[in-house]
Amino acid sequence: MNKSYRTSDLMTCAIANLLYDGETVFHGVSSHLPMVAMHLAKQLHAPNLVHLNIPGGVNPSSVMSASYSSAGADLVDSSEAYYPLEEVFDLSMRGKLDVAFLGGIQFDINGNINASVIGDYHKPKVRLPGGAGSAVLIPTAKKAIIWRTKHDRRTFVEKVDFITTRGNLWKIVTPLCIFEYRYGKLHLDSIHPTSSLEEVKENTAFELLYDEVKYTLPPTEKQLQVLKKIDPDDLRSLEF
Amino acid sequence: MEMKKTLNLKEAASLVENGDILAIGGNVLHRTPMAFVRELTRQNKNNLKLVKTAGAHDIDLLCAMDSVSTVDAGFVSYETKFGLASHYRNAVQKGHIKTNEHACYTVIGALRAAKMNVPFMPIKGLNVGDLLLKNDYFKVVEDPFGGEPITLVKAIVPDIAVIHVQECDQNGNAIIHGPKFEDVLMSRAATKVILTTEKIVPDAIMKRNNERIDIPGFLVHAIVHSPKGASPTSVNKYYDIDEKSLTSFLTKKTKREVEEYIQSYEKKDYGGRMV
Repeated sequence: MNKSYRTSDLMTCAIANLLYDGETVFHGVSSHLPMVAMHLAKQLHAPNLVHLNIPGGVNPSSVMSASYSSAGADLVDSSEAYYPLEEVFDLSMRGKLDVAFLGGIQFDINGNINASVIGDYHKPKVRLPGGAGSAVLIPTAKKAIIWRTKHDRRTFVEKVDFITTRGNLWKIVTPLCIFEYRYGKLHLDSIHPTSSLEEVKENTAFELLYDEVKYTLPPTEKQLQVLKKIDPDDLRSLEF
Repeated sequence: MEMKKTLNLKEAASLVENGDILAIGGNVLHRTPMAFVRELTRQNKNNLKLVKTAGAHDIDLLCAMDSVSTVDAGFVSYETKFGLASHYRNAVQKGHIKTNEHACYTVIGALRAAKMNVPFMPIKGLNVGDLLLKNDYFKVVEDPFGGEPITLVKAIVPDIAVIHVQECDQNGNAIIHGPKFEDVLMSRAATKVILTTEKIVPDAIMKRNNERIDIPGFLVHAIVHSPKGASPTSVNKYYDIDEKSLTSFLTKKTKREVEEYIQSYEKKDYGGRMV
């Protein structure tokens, strides 16, 4: 296979392909990959996508200065309006947030998400950072997209240790594949061309549900070209 | 003659009592009142109950110095590049402190309730999962007007909100440049507001920008002139994060090492002028 792209490029482009023109889309802290994906979509097929974020910059013209933080003042400095986090939450509660990007540490086949603890909640073996906005955004945003740069049996588990939330989860994008949540179960939606059914199976602790084996579209030349321009410092690869 | 509000850092930090509910302004690596936070540890404050939607260095440092009893927050971690808040994690895992995990929006709801002086705030969205089952500050009730069940979050009334701003006058009329995060809300919710500020500007100059004031002075109890008072976190239009300092802090393992790190800031932290 002629591999002119890396896993981070593939995930960024796959996420961009999930976004539609005109949608209101939010990302939080530590979210460089989806932030770049949103800008990629905006440059190509979704020019009217509305980029919302924690500091409150609506449609920042660039994400290049967001080097160590996806919640910094730079997103406000180059924005067209100020619309801070608490208002973004309110918007989602009113049913007007189309897409929310969120994280998580453990996921199970029932679409449960754990971002809180490993072990007991009150006496945890491992205290995780916490679900941030997940517990109110995943149930209220029209579509929640989760990205996770790890795909192993400790991440895709039989049963999560703690249910931080579940709800309008739509897709989970990993380095190996994309899951889709429908009829209350995670289904294997597509396998990345860089992976295989065997690899996904080996690294997933729950049964893989699928009707047919489909492959994720690889990044196009155009997408890779635009990525170089909008993300010259490769912020999309920070988590790798 | 009005009471003088400008205090030095020591005097202002001494307003915080052990066991207080303390709301800390800023967000993750931005505009966090770190000089004030460091001074709290120098004064050996303890059993503080911290409130913030998303914290990092502030909460981590206070946990390293055993100053904390509970943390009410939605997210506690540095961003990707700097990794996890290990002192906070250790303190929770050892059972020294308790995390009251929120959904960020429920911290906002709890502060909105405080601002309006009502005992709770209804929260749409939080209607499923273990956070509801494990925490006594959430309750699901029947909508008294009919309809769906609704989750309530209990009000959080901070005894003190400490907020770092770019500029204010000697009365505390303050402007925050760039993202305000939850700071304006905190200033309305807390019993007392303490500002640390990069600059104290003359009243007459502030008055020219009166429509831009985020926190009016009459809500403010004390002001500390604290240039670079948020470092090593960033302050919009003034300075970026101090990556060297943050990285060095993240290598500190013991309380003794963290104490030395805090000591290295002493001169800078006490450098503000009195007005």
